[in-house]
Amino acid sequence: MDQRVTVAIIEDHPVVTEGVASWIRSDPGQRVMLVHTARDLAMLTGVAADVVILDLELSGELVTAQIPELVAGGYRVVAFSGHTDPAIVMDTLDSGAHAYVSKDEGREHLVEAVLAAAADRPYVTRSQARAMLADERAARPALSEQERQALLLWFQGMSKASVGRRMAISENTVRQYISRARAKYAATGRTAPSKDALLARAIEDGVIKASEIAPYRSFARGPDDRPG
Amino acid sequence: MTSVRQTPDQASPGPASQGPASRASASRASAARVQPTALMSARYQRAFTLAVMFLVIGWHLAGAGGQLLRDRPEFPSFAFQGLMWVVMALAIAVGSALVLRGAPGWGLAWAVVLIMLVASTAASVATPASQLLALNWAWGSAGWTGVLMLLRRRFTELAAYLAVLAGATFGVQVWDGLNRLDLAGFLAVLAWSTGAQVAVAALVRALDVAAGQAAAAARREDAARERAATAEIIRAARQARKLVLQEGAVPLVAELAAGTADPGDPRVRARCAVQAARLRRLLAESDEVTGALVHELHASADMAERRGVAVEIETAGALPQVPGPARRVITDAAIAIMTAARSHARITLATVLSESATVLSESTVLSESTVLSESTVLSERTVAAGIAVSFVADTGASVLLPLAGDGVVIDHQQDGGLLWAEARWTSG
Repeated sequence: MDQRVTVAIIEDHPVVTEGVASWIRSDPGQRVMLVHTARDLAMLTGVAADVVILDLELSGELVTAQIPELVAGGYRVVAFSGHTDPAIVMDTLDSGAHAYVSKDEGREHLVEAVLAAAADRPYVTRSQARAMLADERAARPALSEQERQALLLWFQGMSKASVGRRMAISENTVRQYISRARAKYAATGRTAPSKDALLARAIEDGVIKASEIAPYRSFARGPDDRPG
Repeated sequence: MTSVRQTPDQASPGPASQGPASRASASRASAARVQPTALMSARYQRAFTLAVMFLVIGWHLAGAGGQLLRDRPEFPSFAFQGLMWVVMALAIAVGSALVLRGAPGWGLAWAVVLIMLVASTAASVATPASQLLALNWAWGSAGWTGVLMLLRRRFTELAAYLAVLAGATFGVQVWDGLNRLDLAGFLAVLAWSTGAQVAVAALVRALDVAAGQAAAAARREDAARERAATAEIIRAARQARKLVLQEGAVPLVAELAAGTADPGDPRVRARCAVQAARLRRLLAESDEVTGALVHELHASADMAERRGVAVEIETAGALPQVPGPARRVITDAAIAIMTAARSHARITLATVLSESATVLSESTVLSESTVLSESTVLSERTVAAGIAVSFVADTGASVLLPLAGDGVVIDHQQDGGLLWAEARWTSG
C-alpha cells in the first residue's frame, strides 16, 4: 500500500521539470511520487494526482484563470512561478491555489508545499507573506497585530525559530499565526472547493475558530462569485 | 560595470528623470490616487446641494417674502406673519450652514424642518379663513427647506415630512370650514408645490449617482494611464537589464557551456550565486516604482556583490518617501551590514501601517440609493505611514550598527552566524 503523495508537473521548460523531479527524488523520506509531466494544461486530462505543480506561465501566457477549473477537477494546485509580483501571487491564491512557490524558493519549499497541499494544510512561502503584507485591497481580511508581525519577520528572512525568539513565543505559535493569516485569506474572495478544504482543515486543526472567519466570508461574498 | 548599472536607475523615476518615469511618479501611492476621484464626486454633490440651497433662499426671500409684502393689508396681524417669516429665515440660515458643513445628522436636520413646520402652520392659523390658500406664503418655504435638509437622508423621511406639512395646512383649512372649492384649490397647490419639491429631490439623487459613476470612470481611466506609464518604464528597464546581462551572466553561462568553468568549483558556484541574485534584483526592479531609498540600498548591495556576496532585495507594499536624514541612518546601517556579510544577504523593505492615519476613501455603495450620503464620507483607513527596512546576513561576529536617530529606530538580533537587523522609520 503506497501512501505517497502523487504529483503532476505542468511546466513548459523541460529543464525546470527535470529540476523539480530531482528535488522530488532527493527528498530523504521519498514522500512524493511524480506520476505525470505535461507541457500544457490539455495534457493533464484524465491524470489522477493529488497535487499539480503548475508553472503559471505556459508558452508565454499566464494561466491563473485556469486554476479554478483545475481545482474544480479535484486537483490541489501549487503554483510554481518565476513571477514574484504580489498582485499575481494574490490572484493565484484567490483563484484557489493551495500555495505559491517562487522559482527562487523551489529547492527549499516546493516539496514541503506539495505535502502541505496534499493534506489541505496552509503553506506560506516568503513570496506569499510578501503578497499578504502588500495587500491593500479593500476586501482584504483583517489580520491581527501578531499575525502581521509574524508574517513580516518571516518575509524579512528570519527562520521560524528566530521569529519565535524575536516575538518571545514558540516556533509552533509562529506557525499558528502564519497559518491563521493564510486561513483568513482562504475565507475571502472567490469561492473554491480548495479554499473550503483549507479552511475546514484549519478549523479541524485548531488553527482558527469558525467564529473568527464567519464575518469575513459573508462580507466577501458578492453576486458575481463563481459557483462552486 | 558601474556606468552600465546606472541605466536602470535612470529608467526609474528619480527627481531628475523625465518622460514616462516622471508621469508614473505622480501617482506613486495608491492612496494618492483614491483621493482626487472621491473629491471629484464630493465636489459634484456639493454643487447640487448649493443649487438647492440657493433655490430655498431665493424662494423664501423673493417668493414668500414678496407675496407677504404684497398681501400685507389682508392679514389681521402683519407683525405676526412677519415674525413667522423671520423665524423661518433664521431656520433656513442655520439649516444652510449645517448643510454646508456636511450632511447634517438626523436630529439637527429634523429640528430645522420641525421649526419650519410649526412656523408655517402658525402662519396659516393666523390667516383669514376664507383666504387661506390665496394668502399662504409659508407652505412653499417650509416644503423647500425640507428638501434641502432631508436631501441626502432616506427618501421616506422627506416624503413623511412633506405629507405632514400638507396635512397640517389641510387641517387648518378643515378647522376653518372646508368647502368644495377650497378642496380643489388645496389639491392644485399640493400638486404644484409638493410635486416640484419631490421632483427636485429625485433629480438631485439621480445626479448624485451620476457623479459617483463619473468619479469611478475617472478612477478607472487613471489606473489605465498609470499602467501604460509603468509598462513604458518596464520596457526601458528591460533594455537596460539586457546590457547588464551582457556584462556578468552571459560570459559565465558561456564559460559553463564551453566547460572552461567547472560547476563543482566552489568559486564558480559563488559566481553563479552572485549572478543569480543580481538577476533576481534586476527582475524585481520592475515590480515597484522605486524611490531614492531603494536605489541607495541597491548601491550598497552592489558593493557587497563585488566582493562575491549574493544579495537579494525585496519590497512589500507601496513604500512611503523617506526624508534625507532618516534615509542616511538606514543606508549607514545597510553599508555596515553589507560590509560584514560573508556570502549572502537579504534586504527587505515593507510598509508599516499606522492606525491613526486617515485617508479619503470612496465607499463601494454608490449605487445603493439608501446610502448615497455615505458615498463620499471621510472614512478611517490604515495607510502606509512608515517603513521597516530589514537585513538578514551571515555576518558571523556582531556588527557595529549606527545609532538610531532622525525618526529611525534600529533593532537587531544575532542567531548563530546570522544577523537580523531592522531599521524602522515612521512619519510624524
